[in-house]
Amino acid sequence: MQTPFSRNIIVTENLGKSVKTSGGTLHILSDISLQVASGESIAIAGESGSGKSTLISLLAGLDTPTIGSINLNGKSLTSMDEDGRAAMRNQLVGFVFQSFQLLQGLTALENVMLPLELRGDKKAKDAAIGLLQRVGLSERLTHTPRQLSGGEQQRVALARAFVSKPAVLFADEPTGNLDSKTGAKIIDLLFELNQENNTTLILVTHDQTLANRCQRIIKLAAGRMV
Amino acid sequence: MKPFGLALRMLWRDSRSGELSILFLALLIAVTSSTAIALFSDRLERTMTDQTAEFLAADMVISSHATIPEPWLEKAAQLNLAQAQTAEFSSVLIEHDELLLAGIKAVSADYPLRGFLKTTTSDYSTETIEHQGPEPGFAWVEKRVLSALKLNIGDPLTVGEKKLVVSKIITYEPDKQGDIYSLSPRVMINKQDLQETGVIQPGSHVHYFFQFSGEQSQLTEFKRWVKPQLNLAQRIMDIHEDRPELGSALNRAKRYLGLSSIVVIIISGVAIAMATRRYTERHLDATAILRCLGCKQSDVLWLFVSQFLILGLMTSALGCGLGWVVQEMLFELLRNLLPQTIANSGVLAVFFGMMTGMTVLIGFALPPLLRLKRVSPARVLRRDLEPLPSSAWLVYGLAFGIVGVLIWRYTEDLNMTATIFCAGLVLLLVLGLLVYLLLILARRSLPFMSLNLRFGLQGLLRNSRATVSQILAFTITLVAMALSFTVRTDLIENWHKQLPEHAANHFALNIFPEQLPSLQKEFKEQGIEGSQFFPVIRGRLTEINGVPVQKIVSKDSQGESATHRELSLTWTENLPEDNKVIIGNWWTPEKKGEVSVEQKLADSLKIRLGDQLLFIVGGQQLTATVSSIRSLQWDTMKPNFYMIFSPGSLESFPGTFLTSFYLPDNKKTVLNQLVKQYPAMTILEVDLILKQFKTILTQLTEAINYLLYFALMAGFTVLFSAIYSTLDNRIYESALLRTFGANRSLLRLTHIIEFTLLGLVSGVLAVVISEGLLYALYSKALTMDYRPTYYLWIALPLIGAFSVGLAGCWGVRHVVNIPPLRVLRDT
Repeated sequence: MQTPFSRNIIVTENLGKSVKTSGGTLHILSDISLQVASGESIAIAGESGSGKSTLISLLAGLDTPTIGSINLNGKSLTSMDEDGRAAMRNQLVGFVFQSFQLLQGLTALENVMLPLELRGDKKAKDAAIGLLQRVGLSERLTHTPRQLSGGEQQRVALARAFVSKPAVLFADEPTGNLDSKTGAKIIDLLFELNQENNTTLILVTHDQTLANRCQRIIKLAAGRMV
Repeated sequence: MKPFGLALRMLWRDSRSGELSILFLALLIAVTSSTAIALFSDRLERTMTDQTAEFLAADMVISSHATIPEPWLEKAAQLNLAQAQTAEFSSVLIEHDELLLAGIKAVSADYPLRGFLKTTTSDYSTETIEHQGPEPGFAWVEKRVLSALKLNIGDPLTVGEKKLVVSKIITYEPDKQGDIYSLSPRVMINKQDLQETGVIQPGSHVHYFFQFSGEQSQLTEFKRWVKPQLNLAQRIMDIHEDRPELGSALNRAKRYLGLSSIVVIIISGVAIAMATRRYTERHLDATAILRCLGCKQSDVLWLFVSQFLILGLMTSALGCGLGWVVQEMLFELLRNLLPQTIANSGVLAVFFGMMTGMTVLIGFALPPLLRLKRVSPARVLRRDLEPLPSSAWLVYGLAFGIVGVLIWRYTEDLNMTATIFCAGLVLLLVLGLLVYLLLILARRSLPFMSLNLRFGLQGLLRNSRATVSQILAFTITLVAMALSFTVRTDLIENWHKQLPEHAANHFALNIFPEQLPSLQKEFKEQGIEGSQFFPVIRGRLTEINGVPVQKIVSKDSQGESATHRELSLTWTENLPEDNKVIIGNWWTPEKKGEVSVEQKLADSLKIRLGDQLLFIVGGQQLTATVSSIRSLQWDTMKPNFYMIFSPGSLESFPGTFLTSFYLPDNKKTVLNQLVKQYPAMTILEVDLILKQFKTILTQLTEAINYLLYFALMAGFTVLFSAIYSTLDNRIYESALLRTFGANRSLLRLTHIIEFTLLGLVSGVLAVVISEGLLYALYSKALTMDYRPTYYLWIALPLIGAFSVGLAGCWGVRHVVNIPPLRVLRDT
């Protein structure tokens, strides 16, 4: 499928993931070929067990496919070793998870600083404070995740995801753990930030309304694109 | 990425959230105790060595029958060793028509180099400490000399041709040998007067002692330099060779101190391993996020390892400081018992504490930590992706390796290390399997149990691998504590047995056979508790199976020195107390011409059972067949013999009798009476030596008691921390049970059953392992008799059940009191 955008940031060909079980080989994903243009927003939709999370983890370089290839920003993820993929994640990728995945021992500010600290960025603190202000948490800098509500935690996660100015943002059911009102606010914020940063967005959801806000929807069923 | 700065920040954040407290505590205890023990034992040993050096009046002595070459003394001077000399010989003194065979000792100006003399001019209540011998022209004498020669202080006393003035009574002489053959009452003179006495002529029987003291390294160098130049009549004396009763007490105490240190380190190591395992599990998610954010595997490993290294260094430094304070406090507590001057703390011991801390941390913490390297970044999406645990070989191999190195470091005995190590390893493997089988058995019997018992057992069965490792960890801790306690009790008991309340403190020798009946009667009338009267016949061993002994022995061996002098031979029907036949059999009365040989001498002379030994006794030849080899305790104050003959073998040779007996201070006057009545009999007073020895043993006992309390305290603290580090899962599961409607009393009972069972099984296993290890330790390391410690069979399971039960229930107590949702949210 060709997009109106200038350059493909993600290209996959015949991507497949299978695992061996006692009952034989289980195919989780099969024959996934897609191109995602830079700045595009895509929703991956499907029922539970359709392979959404597996696909996102392959695209983000968190896991390796059994078959097929993935290109991220013109480089083959499949030919890289784990350390190479880690470097790619650090430079290009941001994440937002359903369960927020904040480090419990760290404050909101420290959580947001982390990706920049890992890069050795000396202005990590300033950038993190700026983003936390942007997501409306300037009063909560020193609070730990336990002291924050679910919505606030996800806002910290959004700030962490955008602080490193990623080329691609992967969001896995970002509102799955939130009530609908809070969820809607978070999604608004996500799309605002996405636009401000011109980030490519890959969003996993089974919420049709949310999926419709993306420019394109990829539907998965039993591990295949439909 | 700048990993070090980030590691520091993460460490700070983790410590703030309390993630590191157990780890910190376990490491702090390991370093504090090992530093405290290393410092304490090092200082105590040096203090004791200084004190025991008093028994030689120097750090090292060369004994010789002639003056030693001038270059030797020059070499000692070059090495900055202080020097003193004494010359000892026997001389008959005559005053007021009374004769006395006295032991004359001429001392140089610097004598004694270590310790002091005590003198009095009237009675024992006004003793003066003297750091030098008599001035030229004066003589100091033992009190018995005055009464025997009818002298008073200020009277003249002629030694040989030199007229001296008796100025003081000697009440204590540091280096008075416990040797039975230097026995006569002492007369001490200045060495400058020696020439003028005219007693020393070519061929005179004089014993010279060249004394040296100084830095240990210089002494060692001097010893190494001089040793090859010694002739057959010259010998180096030091505390371990010449005062075996003290040497062995010190060695045992030193080994016990080392053992305590290993015990605390092992206990702490177990806690560190458990705490790191918990730390690792609690950091799996965080690691997955870090990996997700672009951390490489090596970055993750470096990040955590460097955090541990920083933690290790800081904690070790703190532990060293605390260890120093603790040992200062120990010395303060023992102040009244210890000598006035205590050796300084050694810097090396502090360094060793640091090294121990880092080694234990790496050995026990690295394997569980390595697991973090393998965390998949995909875990952020799928929490069930658990990294594989580190290889069991790595986990246990490294920990065992570290323990092995530590045991070797303390024992300096490869054989013993291997024995303890292999025994411990085999026991652990067997017991691990046994626990596993027990758990399988328990699983099968679940359907027949009550709800409470079933829930309790299920807690243990849910993750049987973790339960096995927990049981083994608690077992190791209990074993370590039991070892520390039992060895200490037996060690002290053994010392008391070695020197009971009324241990013989005098030897009587040169008793002629015809005097024996009346002397025995006298002893009985005076109420003197004595040992057996042994006949003593002087004889020299010349041939073994027709081969001259000189051709058999190796130079400098015990056997060699035994062949150069006459031995005291005896015969007796019954095996003397404290002797044990280890090869062959003790004779029946009718067998003549048999001899029983002391084990070490037999080894040195390669004497086997059935060998024919030829002795020269009073110019006649005597042949005897070796019918047994004996071991005996040299460290008791009782007559001991290298060669004991069967009855009927020695009776035809002229000899005297020897005995040892106990005489309390208030009956000392009996001695003068005895000496008058039996002028040929020689009395050797060893009561002062004994008193000194007893004081040292009391000091060691006290020190060891404090160390035990320390080890037990460390053990319990770490045991409690270790249990806390296993609670996460249990708390979570209990909260789940509560959400399903389990009431508080059911949960409480379940916890009690679960933890008590855990402690009980650990206690029972600990009994089996301790007995095995105690056997290995006693027979190999401490050379003490092993006997099963029955009270442990009851105490250990009870202590295990109680302490693990209590700590466990205390740790999960809040689960039954706060809303379960809060627990589930927090977990």
